[in-house]
Amino acid sequence: MKRLIGGVLAIAALALQSPDVLAHSASDAYLTLTVDAGKTGGQRVIHGQWDIALRDLDFVLKLDDDGDGHLTWGEVRHHQAAIARYAYANLRLAGTAGDACRITPQRQMIDEHADGAYATLFFTAICAPQTTKLALGYSIFFAIDPSHRGIFVMQDGANTATAVLSPEHATIDLTL
Amino acid sequence: MAPFRAPYIPDHDGENLQDVPSMADPAVVAMRHLRGELAAAPHSLPAAIALAAAYTDYSRQIGDAHYAGYAEAVIAPWLAADHPPAGVLVAEATILQYRHQFNDARALLQRALAIDAGNAQAWLTLATLDMVQGDYAAAGKDCRQVTGSAGFAYGLACSGNLFAYVGKARQSLALLHQAESGGATAPSTFQAWVQGLLAESAERLGDWPLAETHYRNALKLLPQDNFLLVAYADFLLDRGRPQEVLPLLADHTQSDTAFLRLALAQSALESQDAQRYVWIMAARFEALKLRGSDYFGREEARFALQLEHDPQTALDLAQRNWQLQRAPWDARVLLEAALAAGQPQAAREVLEFVQKTNLEDPVIVPLAQRLRAQLNRLAAAPAAGSQPPGAHP
Repeated sequence: MKRLIGGVLAIAALALQSPDVLAHSASDAYLTLTVDAGKTGGQRVIHGQWDIALRDLDFVLKLDDDGDGHLTWGEVRHHQAAIARYAYANLRLAGTAGDACRITPQRQMIDEHADGAYATLFFTAICAPQTTKLALGYSIFFAIDPSHRGIFVMQDGANTATAVLSPEHATIDLTL
Repeated sequence: MAPFRAPYIPDHDGENLQDVPSMADPAVVAMRHLRGELAAAPHSLPAAIALAAAYTDYSRQIGDAHYAGYAEAVIAPWLAADHPPAGVLVAEATILQYRHQFNDARALLQRALAIDAGNAQAWLTLATLDMVQGDYAAAGKDCRQVTGSAGFAYGLACSGNLFAYVGKARQSLALLHQAESGGATAPSTFQAWVQGLLAESAERLGDWPLAETHYRNALKLLPQDNFLLVAYADFLLDRGRPQEVLPLLADHTQSDTAFLRLALAQSALESQDAQRYVWIMAARFEALKLRGSDYFGREEARFALQLEHDPQTALDLAQRNWQLQRAPWDARVLLEAALAAGQPQAAREVLEFVQKTNLEDPVIVPLAQRLRAQLNRLAAAPAAGSQPPGAHP
């Protein structure tokens, strides 16, 4: 970049500071897995709910078709396939033997969080019957926003495990 | 209405679910343009720095941490290199400063200045850091470097800002008025910054009409600026004008700092909605904790003290916050919490700071006097030292 020399040029280039903290929280998504108590057809079934902020999805997928700054249900609905493609491409569940669980998207709804509206993606993951250990891989938004965090909760019977997923901590091991 | 409900499917397509940056906003269009330029030349450092700067500015203006994250992703490849360029180090430092990761930000600025000793942005950011952390001697040196590297108008604004914290609010106003005329042709962001600083200095002196004039001038220049809106809302709350806070911040409910002021206003008005605001604010703090962020100490302490009426929690939060930042509001919330909790001894460090720095403030100085009087009474009656003052008949 060209070196700036004094005066108005420098004024134009400088970002002004205020010591105030950024007032909106950074990006969060909420991923909850619930291990099914029974074994459907001998297989392990996990139910998933994934809440992803609409404003984050809008930044990546440009959901606001008319660009008016108001994201309507019609616009979200119109992009549901793209939302699913993008989200599920960034989620992996695999047995430690390398056998991936099959993730099947169910339905999408809307959920309201304290900081805005989220797309809620419901899915099931079907894993091999002998699966007891799983690796969860999570990568949504990390490439465009390293401050994104996935707030992860797993419920297996009476047990609850929680974790915060980040670029440095994008894979976690789960025991069923 | 309950603040939250279970996942649902909206009734009709036209239902507005979420406000997002609008293409009617020139800043959004400019960011999209810069994003396209970087996509066309992904290895171009100037293109990356320009986009990161646009994201960071937007982030600061609307107070949205998402855009700071986007900026970070843009400069990440250069930052990961063995010898990152100074501009990249400064850009990352600015982002870390916004997240109140002050020590990391400082280290990056020092690296940047080792490469480029005349980097104006680095000096200005360092000056801000030193001021917010209460190291006024260092800030004075930084401001001199700002003058040399960024020019007089900036240097005046920097020193004017500093003087308001060290018992020289009158001189501060004089310097800022010079910066005001010297920067008459500068961009509106600079002018709004100076107007905001003038308002703050007038507040130090208790000159409310002058402060209000400058807040309004600043907001005329940058009507959407989160920092200015929140500072003006605090001014209105202090003046007993909570009803004016509601329209001021009506379009800024997504901002946590603005939302706190709305909750305070609703509470002051004893509105039926007040409890709902408190509930949502608590949920937002909870969400921040879940992700491992705890840099809202000043706001959380105020929330605990004024809306949850829990002075002990407020005091703990304010004390932790004081280790990180030492602006007048940080001192004030700690003193208020110490007084409410009946623990004047917990305010000792802040009282020493206020005295040492000669801080002028029509709210903080009387608070400090009351706490000092309580401490003196405690010292005079050691047997009662374990009892909160005022607790005995």
